Amino acid sequence: MGDEIAPEGANVVPFPDVGSEIEPDLDELRAALEGLRREIRARFQPAAVERGEIDWMELFEELRRRVSTLGMVERSGVVDEFGMDEVVMRRGQRLLDFLFDTYWRVDCHGLDRLEGSGPRLLVANRSGVLPYDGLMVAHAIERHHASGARPRFLVADWLITLPFVQPYLARLGGVRACRENADRLLQSGHWVLAFPEGEKGAAKVFRERYRVMRLGRGGVVRTALENRVPLVPVGVVGPEEAHPILFKWTTPARMVGLPFLPVTPTFPWLGPLGLLPLPTKWWICFGDPIPTDELGPEAAEDELLVSRLTEELRGRIESLLHTGLDLRPSVWS
Amino acid sequence: MPMNEPGTVAITGLGTFLGQRLAERLLEDRAHPRIVALGPRRPLRLEGRIHFQDVDFTEPTADSRLAEILADQGVEVVVHTAFRHSPTPDLDFDHELETIGTLHVMNACAAAKVGRLVVASSTMLYGPRPDNPNFLSEDHPLRGHPEAHNVQNRVEAERLLAEWIPRHPDTEVCVLRHCWVMGPTYDDHVVRYFERPVVPMLLGYDPLLQFVHEEDLVHAFEQATLASHPGVFNIVGSGVLPLSTLLALAGKRALQLPSPLLYRLAYYPNQSQTGDPPAGFYDYLRYLWVAAGERGWAEFGEPVYSTQEAWISFVSSRRMRRYR
Repeated sequence: MGDEIAPEGANVVPFPDVGSEIEPDLDELRAALEGLRREIRARFQPAAVERGEIDWMELFEELRRRVSTLGMVERSGVVDEFGMDEVVMRRGQRLLDFLFDTYWRVDCHGLDRLEGSGPRLLVANRSGVLPYDGLMVAHAIERHHASGARPRFLVADWLITLPFVQPYLARLGGVRACRENADRLLQSGHWVLAFPEGEKGAAKVFRERYRVMRLGRGGVVRTALENRVPLVPVGVVGPEEAHPILFKWTTPARMVGLPFLPVTPTFPWLGPLGLLPLPTKWWICFGDPIPTDELGPEAAEDELLVSRLTEELRGRIESLLHTGLDLRPSVWS
Repeated sequence: MPMNEPGTVAITGLGTFLGQRLAERLLEDRAHPRIVALGPRRPLRLEGRIHFQDVDFTEPTADSRLAEILADQGVEVVVHTAFRHSPTPDLDFDHELETIGTLHVMNACAAAKVGRLVVASSTMLYGPRPDNPNFLSEDHPLRGHPEAHNVQNRVEAERLLAEWIPRHPDTEVCVLRHCWVMGPTYDDHVVRYFERPVVPMLLGYDPLLQFVHEEDLVHAFEQATLASHPGVFNIVGSGVLPLSTLLALAGKRALQLPSPLLYRLAYYPNQSQTGDPPAGFYDYLRYLWVAAGERGWAEFGEPVYSTQEAWISFVSSRRMRRYR
């Protein structure tokens, strides 16, 4: 029984003495081992091997998240209640930055007037058919304001129900312009950007540029009074030249459900290429907020007060537009 | 006369998902109320545990027969769930059951002095409209859809009910409007639409949709049956998702067709299956009709399943079915 393990057994084959031959091979062996290690490192994630440990919980969480949104590269599995998609926003960020910094070279004036937090209603002049102005103002505030909150911009009915436009606008933060939506946004603490000129503003022909039209029927002022949030006038200089509308063509537009077809120097002559806005120089001017909280929500019933405030708001936006136009030496710079 | 813990509950429409599941849920409790089933067919699955009374709501004298039964059995709460889940081409019968049937139930409740009436309704009744706000509150007018006969009949039923309520202050009424239901066992025309591997949708439209999970729905009805919750409530899951995201989550492919083409292609199959032109269904996948759930959540508790979770629950149950 003990024969096999007996060390002094004569029949045990002696271990060959190769000691003298190993010495010169050691470096070669080391080099081979190093090569093997490198190969292993290259095959697995280098970072994980470098750190020496893998965060299994994090890896599992990541996989779990991936599996629940399989096949969802360009969107997230959760949107906010008005349909804004974080992933689409993140992916669109670069394009928005390009438009903001390089294409329109947007500058802001009076950002210090936006101090403080809490919901507020921003009211701006509207121009152009597609809501570039809303996107750019929202982008400016998100970038430059301390709170980093992205205001939600309101979009006219006919635009947000247009096929192909609606899915993208909703994901980029556009909301249909109506009292219920504005109330809900303000009550949940969002900043809201409204363009009460509406269709009349979008349909401004070139020679009427920077003339602020009637601000609806005072709905913005009433909304601000009821929710007791300040009204902030905003003048956007630039977009009114980005799509210079020469005249409006109504008959063919009615056929596809649009209120009018804008005829610009490039559209519809150049086809879809004509939809590109011109690279004008933009200035966004923010005015002093008009406080509404001391008036109280019952002031919304006072028709004369509402129309007086609406007219004051219109005047302030117009003077902000003049400020912006004075700041700008020419349309292009 | 609001009371708590009713002794006897009558449920109409035991053949529907909602009626049957509600009865089963009530029976789970040891101290459950006596349940009277009203309908044309004996619910064999619950035989011996409930008291069945044979009533056909479409008969002209159904109201007096119903009133007799309700008084006889001493019913304190009536839950009216005898509505079709899916539209059928039988337009006349649909009107008789949904609108006139509800009228009969209301009148019988008034005659028998029933303390509480719970009525099932749907947020589809608000109607898909381009000018809807993103969240429809319970006070929004019910505009329905002119081409969906099932929806129109129920809008009319709710209108009759709204006229009836102020004339009968002794009966408290709870109306529960639920959105599209998703879950492992629920089945209707919406579910069958989403069960297809390739789902047709409208090119250029991607509306936000919301779902409620079947368990949350039955829970809300159970609460409304057992305790006093007068008023109208939307029963919806939390959160919304665009249609394309839902399909991507389920790994289904979307067949995007322009609306004029889809409405023509789907005309014959839709008309023969539901009795409506395709617009009656596909417009619900075109415009917004999302309802605000805050009032219902405050009354019956937060839903356990969000819209996304209800959808995932439906999708995973169907995935399992393939391997059976």
